[in-house]
Amino acid sequence: MRDILKSNYHWVTLFVLVILVGLVDSNFWNVKSLLILIGDIVPLFIMALGLTFAIYIGGIDLSAQSMANMITVIASLYLASLGLWIVPMCFLVGAALGGLSGLITTRFLVPSFISTLAIGGVCYSLAQWLSGNRALYMDSEIRDALFGWMLSSTGIVPNTIFVGAAVFAGALLIERRSTLGRRLKAVGSAELAAVASGMRVSRIKVMAFALSGGLAALAGVIFAIKLSGGAPSIANGFLLPAIVAVLVGGTPLTGGVGGVVNTLVGTMIVAVIRSSMLYLEVEATHQQMVFGIVLIIAIVFTIDRSKLSIVK
Amino acid sequence: MLEFQNVSKEFGPVKALANINFKVAKGEIVGLVGENGAGKSTLMKIIFGAYQADSGIILIDGRKTRFSSPRDAMSKGIGMVFQEQSLIGNLSIMENLFLGREREFQKCGLIDFKKMAEASRYQLAKVGLDIDPYMETARLSFSQRQLIELAKVLALEERSSGDLVILLDEPTSVLSEDEVTLLFELVNNLRERAAFIFVSHRLDEVIRLSDRIYVLKDGELVDEVAREKAVASHIQSKMVGREIDTEYYKQDDRLPFAPSPPLLSVQNASVRGRFEKISLDLHAGEVLCLVGTEGSGREAVLRAVFGMHKIDNGRIVYFGNEFLKIRSPNAAVENDVGYMPRERKIEGIFASMNVAENITSCQLPAYARYGLLNKAMELGLADEWIKRLSVKTPSARTDCNRLSGGNQQKVVLAKWRSTGSKIIMLDHPTRGLDIGAKEDVYSMIREMSSAGIGLLLIPDTFEEAIGLGHNIVVIKDGRTVERFDCLKQKVTPFDLVSAMT
Repeated sequence: MRDILKSNYHWVTLFVLVILVGLVDSNFWNVKSLLILIGDIVPLFIMALGLTFAIYIGGIDLSAQSMANMITVIASLYLASLGLWIVPMCFLVGAALGGLSGLITTRFLVPSFISTLAIGGVCYSLAQWLSGNRALYMDSEIRDALFGWMLSSTGIVPNTIFVGAAVFAGALLIERRSTLGRRLKAVGSAELAAVASGMRVSRIKVMAFALSGGLAALAGVIFAIKLSGGAPSIANGFLLPAIVAVLVGGTPLTGGVGGVVNTLVGTMIVAVIRSSMLYLEVEATHQQMVFGIVLIIAIVFTIDRSKLSIVK
Repeated sequence: MLEFQNVSKEFGPVKALANINFKVAKGEIVGLVGENGAGKSTLMKIIFGAYQADSGIILIDGRKTRFSSPRDAMSKGIGMVFQEQSLIGNLSIMENLFLGREREFQKCGLIDFKKMAEASRYQLAKVGLDIDPYMETARLSFSQRQLIELAKVLALEERSSGDLVILLDEPTSVLSEDEVTLLFELVNNLRERAAFIFVSHRLDEVIRLSDRIYVLKDGELVDEVAREKAVASHIQSKMVGREIDTEYYKQDDRLPFAPSPPLLSVQNASVRGRFEKISLDLHAGEVLCLVGTEGSGREAVLRAVFGMHKIDNGRIVYFGNEFLKIRSPNAAVENDVGYMPRERKIEGIFASMNVAENITSCQLPAYARYGLLNKAMELGLADEWIKRLSVKTPSARTDCNRLSGGNQQKVVLAKWRSTGSKIIMLDHPTRGLDIGAKEDVYSMIREMSSAGIGLLLIPDTFEEAIGLGHNIVVIKDGRTVERFDCLKQKVTPFDLVSAMT
């Protein structure tokens, strides 16, 4: 019984939060506003999905937010010339830079929090340089022609939810059904055993960071489309809640367990916390503080201490 | 001055130490010998306060006491010179000597290094070292560091109430012959200051230095020999204990393997710092055992064959194909070489993955199309092997950390068997298993041997080596010292210990 409760912390947390917020805020139960709430969090969700892969193998990707920032700039700049191709291109740029972090980590044995922090710095500078350090706007005609559907709704369901669902389905397929997903799990579960089973652990880790980078870029594209523009710091404030979503969902920093379903639940929790902060009129500047506190609580609950001997 | 009365220690169902009666008098040097796993390190850890005894009495100078932690033991005069040196390389000699005691040298909240250096010189003189205490320990030679360890322990003298008892854990393992002589002289000269407990694999050294020798076997003190009466062969037979005629290792179940060209041929191979000029041949159906003490380099041989260590000299020929080079575990697996590492929970199994996922972990592409796994096929294979090796598990979907140690080992074996490995290397496959599970592993080894798989085995005990191996290679300090053909001669544990120590 305790085991069942322990492995379902994230569901319990979500359930309790929804009940609590529902009791306080009677408008919370409005289905339409709930769907809008979910639709709004899709870019964050996609970034969190990417981060899940990095954390699943016991790493972290701190470049996700700068990556998304840079991609909003790139998407705004090249939408006119590339059209729909902007989506795969941005994904590839993200995957390449993420893969580079992974290469640095595995080749030079630089911990991933440093390599991704460094690559994040590179992304941020690139974004400033490409944008001339100002906000860019997309050509609204082209945007509406190509991606206008994403901003409207089907019935009462915002279409971004379908986008999020599609990306989630892809991530779930990778995690559960692909050889890559299995290898990621093996590396996260016992890296030395993965080596002793003949897995190419370095390559697998690079793939994890490439996925993380690619999905962060995808989050950036969707964010840019929603805002019809980009700027080098437009997605600031994403990283902390995205990490919170992964960890609150129950994928511990030590890796090996959890996964994208957990991140789905974790993102819901973040969405509920966000909406309750809106209701309670917590100032925007204070929200990061709340997420910081939630993050620490989440880590305390999810960390597998048996895997850690020394923490620095 | 230090006395143990009926001290016992259990780890779960395993009795690590049973009714140990042991004493050291002032000025005495006492040796402690035993096979791997006989309980030496457990006993040391109890003396040093790292473990607490479950029952029994510990006396110091006739007064009952207990050591609640290493720190507590130290304050009561117990010092330990560690086998794995405990000095911190980027700190100076004096900082190491007084690590954790900086407060004694405080002046206005800062450390008075002059005073500390002075105190250090005094301590260093005790071990005959004339050396600048400001020097970083990383720059010292190994034997110098060993002496500093000893000085660090002797520095307890001024702190503890009574006299010192110093534990020397394998102090000579990395010293040259001359350095050993010097260390022994020093220890002899320090007799008035302290009692010593000397633990070593090297029996000749123990006999040379100790006044009395305790022999541990399976957690019990089986003998106590005075130096005058100490004969290596007698002590060795006590260490091995069991009379050879007990039908423990069922040699008759072993079938000879058919002659064939070797599957694996290690030719004069060396890995710097681990082993040197090792040669061995492994044939189809052969069980080849590597016997030696901890740190003799046996594990490294296995890892070199598996592509985890690069060999500096010599070569390894796989399947008679001189052009086949294996430089990574991945290449090893692809060429049907399997490896069951010693640390089952860290390197052997994926604890949070299920049985089926564990079994297919080294052959995923065979169960996938376009990068997507065929789970039905995977479960089918898992079910087949669960049946063949009679793995006790609720289902193929059960996480491996819910299985017992023996069944986890079966899962690891199933992994290699199911990929069709032709060479399988096993490092302590029965470690930590109960008798029944051990028997299962033995019969699997025999079955694999009769199926024509070449097995390179690092056994947990001598009996395993003798009972399972067709051939035994004894490795000492990274070199081959002896070979036994178990089909031609009746090898005894005694023969193996004599070669090892």
